[in-house]
Amino acid sequence: MSSWLDYTINGLIVGNVYALVAVGLALIFGVSRLINFAQGSIYLVGAYIGWVAVVQLHTPLPLTIIFVAVVAALVGLIIERFGLRPLQNSVRIAPLLATIGISFVLDQLVMLTFSPNPRALPSQLPDVRFQVGGGTIGPLDLLIAGVGISSALLLFVFLRYSKLGWAVRAASQDRDAAMQMGVDVNRVNQAVFGIAAALGGVSGLLVGMYYNQIDTAMSLQATLKGVVAEVVGGAGNVPGAVVGSLLLGLVESYGVAVFGTSYRNLFAFLLLVVVLVLRPNGLFASARQAPPEPLTGTFIAPSRPVRIPRWALLVAVAVFAILPLLPVSFYVLQTLINAWLLGMLALSLTLVAGTIGQVSLGHAALLAIGAYTSALLSLTLSVPVGLAIIAGGLMSAALGTILISPSFRLRGHYVSIATLAIGEIVSLVILNWESVTRGPIGISGIPPLSLFGYDLIDPKSVYWFSFTVMVVLALLQARLLSSHLGRSFRAIRDDDIAARAYGLSLNRYKSLAFIFGGFAAGVSGGIAAHLYSYINHETFNTQQSILALTVVILGGLGNVVGAVVGAVALVGLPEVFRIAAEYRILIYGIVLLLLVRFRPQGLLGTI
Amino acid sequence: MTTGAPEPLLALTNVNTFYGQAQVHFDLSITVGRGHIVCLLGGNASGKSTTMKIILGLVKPRSGEVTFDGASLIGLTTPQIVRRGIASVPEARRLFADMSVRENILMGAFVRNDREAIARDLDKMLTLFPKLGQRLSQRAGSLSGGEQQMVAMARALMSRPRMIVMDEPTMGLSPLYVDRVLELIRTINQEGVSVFMVEQNASLALEIAHEAYVLQTGKIVLSGSARTLKDDPRVRDAYLGGSEAA
Ligand SMILES: Nc1ncnc2c1ncn2[C@@H]1O[C@H](COP(=O)(O)OP(=O)(O)OP(=O)(O)O)[C@@H](O)[C@H]1O
Ligand SMILES: [Mg+2]
Repeated sequence: MSSWLDYTINGLIVGNVYALVAVGLALIFGVSRLINFAQGSIYLVGAYIGWVAVVQLHTPLPLTIIFVAVVAALVGLIIERFGLRPLQNSVRIAPLLATIGISFVLDQLVMLTFSPNPRALPSQLPDVRFQVGGGTIGPLDLLIAGVGISSALLLFVFLRYSKLGWAVRAASQDRDAAMQMGVDVNRVNQAVFGIAAALGGVSGLLVGMYYNQIDTAMSLQATLKGVVAEVVGGAGNVPGAVVGSLLLGLVESYGVAVFGTSYRNLFAFLLLVVVLVLRPNGLFASARQAPPEPLTGTFIAPSRPVRIPRWALLVAVAVFAILPLLPVSFYVLQTLINAWLLGMLALSLTLVAGTIGQVSLGHAALLAIGAYTSALLSLTLSVPVGLAIIAGGLMSAALGTILISPSFRLRGHYVSIATLAIGEIVSLVILNWESVTRGPIGISGIPPLSLFGYDLIDPKSVYWFSFTVMVVLALLQARLLSSHLGRSFRAIRDDDIAARAYGLSLNRYKSLAFIFGGFAAGVSGGIAAHLYSYINHETFNTQQSILALTVVILGGLGNVVGAVVGAVALVGLPEVFRIAAEYRILIYGIVLLLLVRFRPQGLLGTI
Repeated sequence: MTTGAPEPLLALTNVNTFYGQAQVHFDLSITVGRGHIVCLLGGNASGKSTTMKIILGLVKPRSGEVTFDGASLIGLTTPQIVRRGIASVPEARRLFADMSVRENILMGAFVRNDREAIARDLDKMLTLFPKLGQRLSQRAGSLSGGEQQMVAMARALMSRPRMIVMDEPTMGLSPLYVDRVLELIRTINQEGVSVFMVEQNASLALEIAHEAYVLQTGKIVLSGSARTLKDDPRVRDAYLGGSEAA
């Protein structure tokens, strides 16, 4: 495997696989203006259904493909009917959050059923390779190309010549007008989810066979790759999604050829960010084409926030402050320390996602920046830990804001995609920048927390330290929000066009929000690094970003007290009910789904 | 009340509509007699388009009744209402921009399954709108405003509706096209299709309408036969003067 032709073939084959995912995303986006974050989970389900078929049922290949397509389509139909249709009249971001919740639930169900260990997925095809020019090509490559091309043809015929296909096209161009022609949009959604899921499931099967390995981490990667390909091709543009996928496959393949495997994903996400910033309508949109309907990203269900009297807050703070003096177990303190750390992250996210309306899906990257900065400063330059943590916060504030600033002009779902991609980029840079971050080995032997030369090792002092920091950050944030700044933030969230008309500089306010939020998250990451004493590029992952988002929605978006209450609830309740660790993510996913559906304003109400 | 037929085809009775907290309709009552052209006049933001959306089920009223041919439309979905025989020419046309003219017109027949009759009706549209003949395979989004209006009207007729609702069908058209559109509305009506149209251009609308209503911030302030309204000084001052100057 070294010739350029080999890399080209590889790129096109992988691109074909991406196309199966991206076309589904494009169909769904076209009809519902929704980025379906559960698409990768269906791909995962497809891979494992395929494994069951091949390894346990010993079905022949054509039957395996049909079986996977049918089961995946059913999963897609269930998602549409029970996960998304009830949200039709909700705020725009609700279906997006629901697909995130659904993807958590599906991934965890697969993991619990099949265990997270990788499995082999044999392709059932003879292992021969044919010489083609300077490269080689095998039966599996041909199969993938064949499935890709025939799916594209089938889809073309469906859209062009069937009545339902016409309805899909009409609905994706003008939903209301299509309804006025008698098109039942629910049936269109069903069709689109069914098709997208069938294609996604088959894609998962083929990828599993291609690498002869499947594992549960495939899901998020597939969603991300599909989204990249779709956005590059122009959101909602089906042929564009195919071209975008092939392009992505080639870029990755050549990138790997030149720089090595660990860079593969970095190229994908850089491509995404560049396209989002420079050509948000995709590479092929004509200049005069109107941008896709503005996807206002606010998640503000009308609500009257619960007013908690000041004395009650003071009592609560006092109780938690003296808690370590009471006969409580080490375990309780440990749990609450985790809650305070998550609370700081939630403070940050509730400001960014709630108060100013930029729903970030990559917030864990801010933790990582703070953690690495603090760890490296204290370890290599012997900076005192207290100062190093503050430096971590500052670094997160600065770097986070700089990284996100090109995306300030994006709105709605695109903000979420961009933040997700930037989060991945940070993690990949940490992985690849070995001279500084020590790459995959991670950083060990990070000195423990200390203050003025005294090590804080026993749980009580760690508890007090983290609790104090969180309370101070919360007070600062509450102060910030009650000033005119808070009002400007909310004005931008509620109507950025009007806010701009009033002369508010969106970039400046968004920067301020990210600077403040970045600091809080960076400090949380810094403390965590000294607490864990070991971190690597996976310590702060997308799962934590989503967890933080769940906390923030649980508490009520924009609600400072809510962020802390949400963190205590989400960290504490699984402990109280002694829920086994492997079920927790599943529970979080379900909590997110239920919240979006039944109480989008959270426990304490949005502000 | 109007001089409509004994049993109206469409009736809105005491409709109250809200967008969030803001009330858009106050006890709105309108009837459209069988075979009539009824026009709803009113200034910007008076709630005209919202009235169309109520009829089509795109917006739900908070209270009140909407009946078509004696049966209530409340609670029906838009596609169900369309299948009852109401077609629409929406505000600003709303064609399927990336589909061809032909596909757009055929989308109008979405609720029908009689292939041969659909093909015959398509031919009929081309005699009614001769200009569209050369444009059939062109992208609908690339047509001029007047041509788009023709496509939107042909699309609405393709469902063989009993009633067509039109939102400002003459908006943004040159005088030549305005006359053509009004002429076509009259032709359509003479073939038995009732018409409910929203207009700002009162003098033109009153030329072809049988009855008219005047809507002001969600309330009907005047109604009656088109002939009497045309001479009514209040209509003349409020609408005819303004629109003729424009
Ligand atoms: N989807 C909506 N959400 C909230 N308010 C709306 C919505 N649609 C219309 N409105 C408001 O309802 C009022 C009536 O709107 P409508 O579109 O019915 O007016 P109109 O008479 O058709 O005006 P125009 O002549 O400008 O077309 C306006 O104040 C408008 O701002
Ligand atoms: Mg209007």
